[in-house]
Amino acid sequence: MSLAKWTVGLLAGMSMLAFAAPADAGEVRVTVAEYSAKTGPYFEAVKKEFEAANPGITIKYEVVPWDVLLQKLTTDITAGTNADLSIIGTRWLIDFVQQGVAEPLDGYIKPEFKDRFIDTFLSPSIMDGHTYGLPIAASARAMYYNKELFEKAGIAKPPATWTELQEDARKIKAQGAFGFGLQGKEIETDVYYYYAMWSQGTEILNKDGTSGLGTPGALEAAKLYKSMIDEGLTEPGVTSNNREDVQNLFKQGKVGMMITAPFLSNQIKEEAPSLKYGVAAIPAGPTGARGTYGVTDSIIMFKNSKNKDEAWKLLDFLFTKEQRAKFTQGEGFLPVNKEEAKMDYYVNNADLAAFTALLPDARFAPVIPGWEEIAQITSDAMQKIYLGGDPEAGLKDAAAKANGVLKK
Amino acid sequence: MQSRTLPYLLTLPSLFLAAIVIFWPVWDLIQISTHDVNRFGQLREFSGLANFTELFADPDFIAALWRTGLWTVLVVGGALLLSVPVAMILNMDFYGRGLARVIIMLPWAVSLTMTAVVWRWALSGESGMLNSALMKLGLISQNIQWLASAETAFPMQVLIGILVTVPFTTTIFLGGLSSIPDDLYEAAALEGATHFQQFREITFPLLKPFINIAIVLNTIYVFNSFPIIWVMTQGGPANSTDILVTHLYKLAFRIGKLGEASAVSLVMFAILLVFTMIYVRLAMREQRA
Repeated sequence: MSLAKWTVGLLAGMSMLAFAAPADAGEVRVTVAEYSAKTGPYFEAVKKEFEAANPGITIKYEVVPWDVLLQKLTTDITAGTNADLSIIGTRWLIDFVQQGVAEPLDGYIKPEFKDRFIDTFLSPSIMDGHTYGLPIAASARAMYYNKELFEKAGIAKPPATWTELQEDARKIKAQGAFGFGLQGKEIETDVYYYYAMWSQGTEILNKDGTSGLGTPGALEAAKLYKSMIDEGLTEPGVTSNNREDVQNLFKQGKVGMMITAPFLSNQIKEEAPSLKYGVAAIPAGPTGARGTYGVTDSIIMFKNSKNKDEAWKLLDFLFTKEQRAKFTQGEGFLPVNKEEAKMDYYVNNADLAAFTALLPDARFAPVIPGWEEIAQITSDAMQKIYLGGDPEAGLKDAAAKANGVLKK
Repeated sequence: MQSRTLPYLLTLPSLFLAAIVIFWPVWDLIQISTHDVNRFGQLREFSGLANFTELFADPDFIAALWRTGLWTVLVVGGALLLSVPVAMILNMDFYGRGLARVIIMLPWAVSLTMTAVVWRWALSGESGMLNSALMKLGLISQNIQWLASAETAFPMQVLIGILVTVPFTTTIFLGGLSSIPDDLYEAAALEGATHFQQFREITFPLLKPFINIAIVLNTIYVFNSFPIIWVMTQGGPANSTDILVTHLYKLAFRIGKLGEASAVSLVMFAILLVFTMIYVRLAMREQRA
């Protein structure tokens, strides 16, 4: 009897799954990247507020961790079961545009709407004059330093150049801490290397469109990091530390300096409130050149969406000043909305001011097909060098591989 | 007449099911791997074996191929060597045997990904449990950066692979051991056979079919095992701990080369198919003789 009940229940459950698939009219499905524990609750609040104001439209979310987002989108699109809207890394956008997956939003964007955005952050989502995405999240990188360690080592102010950084790292090392936190594993391992490379005046792509990895500036940058590893100025085992690992060392007060995103401030506030730290510019190179990494994530509309008007209504709602402020402050991103940026929260925040001051030096990931592969090639090359490989040979090999990808 | 077609008719439904579950995805993979395909899996023109030639020209793929062989042999071999004595001990009658069996089986109950995550923490260079334990025991004077290079990361991954393969293997062997009648050992003991002789002449030969099953199932499972390596190193640093399935994942979902990734998948399928056929053939012949 009980077994039969089970079977019936199971079958009923399966059939419900099977019939629940087709989308209802007025339903907007959104794939959301989970930035932190606050992402899900924020979007649930949006759903409540939006549905109350727009009867007839229901929102359905799929909240996905960042690591598997691209995989999920790939399989969804392949199977034709993608949502109406999705958050994506803006660096993936070119693939979505070239394959005709993303819907241009120009028809919906009124001048008033466009005027809400800070241009720096909207422009990466514009391709061939069409706007394909809206910057849902924006971030840049700056250098965090541990004020207590600096004081102990007798350093007055954060280093302005890489040479000063090396000297400061030596002094911090003498105090028994790790001078400079160097990331050598997983996402953004390549970016951590670009900070040094940009300060040499070298770009990811040369003017002629070839890879910058083969230039003397790129070699100088690699040699700089390698010499710091050899001298013991970084944390040991660089290639086993991803961004979170280095951030954890920083929160524990074991690392003097590291380069990362604004959200570390929020994490320190919650996890290590007694840590005394400051945020400064990324050090400059011998010519005064410097660069930080600017990142935006875009929310896009899919071409095959059946509920585009409803989806646009949601976008319009998400990009109001109030909604933006709630999201940005919760996650620790930078404001993309002009009015939002004028709020006291941002104006009186010294940490965020350091980030926004760096924006003129911000580089975004180049908009080229095959970018992910070039980033992977660069990360692999850097890992080999950090493990003791020859910088010259490693970069030459990587440049050849990257140029091979660029030619396609 | 009827008796001859009846068996076929009876197996037809399950054959049909197997065809849907196995042949359809394989057919799909063949399609993708022989076409030029975009990152969302949409097929463009037919490209023949281009994806395969590209693959075999890639030193990272060749390295991953060899490493997968090494990984499979070490993990399966290690698990077998460890499981035979463990199963024999657990088969003996002693106080607390039930508890001992539960403890041995426990790693099986924990998700593989979770096990790997815990080990990743334990092996962390600065705040890992393993380093602080070794330090307290006075075995090391400096933290070892376990996951920083393949020389230390890969052996640890193999050890963890063995650890999580032992429970399943032990279960198979326990089943085998309990099917050996006790009178055989009693008779042998009467004749004056030593414990080692008993093992060599009775236990091992009678356990052989079970060892064969364990080898085939474990090889298939370990060959395709993703979580341990992915969670701990993502196949890095610089692809030096990649096995085929982590290489495949990067190709498909990081870089977006679905065509080449499908080709890797087919190569893996072919290797396992050939291995299983040869092995089962050999094992069966041996048993008949």
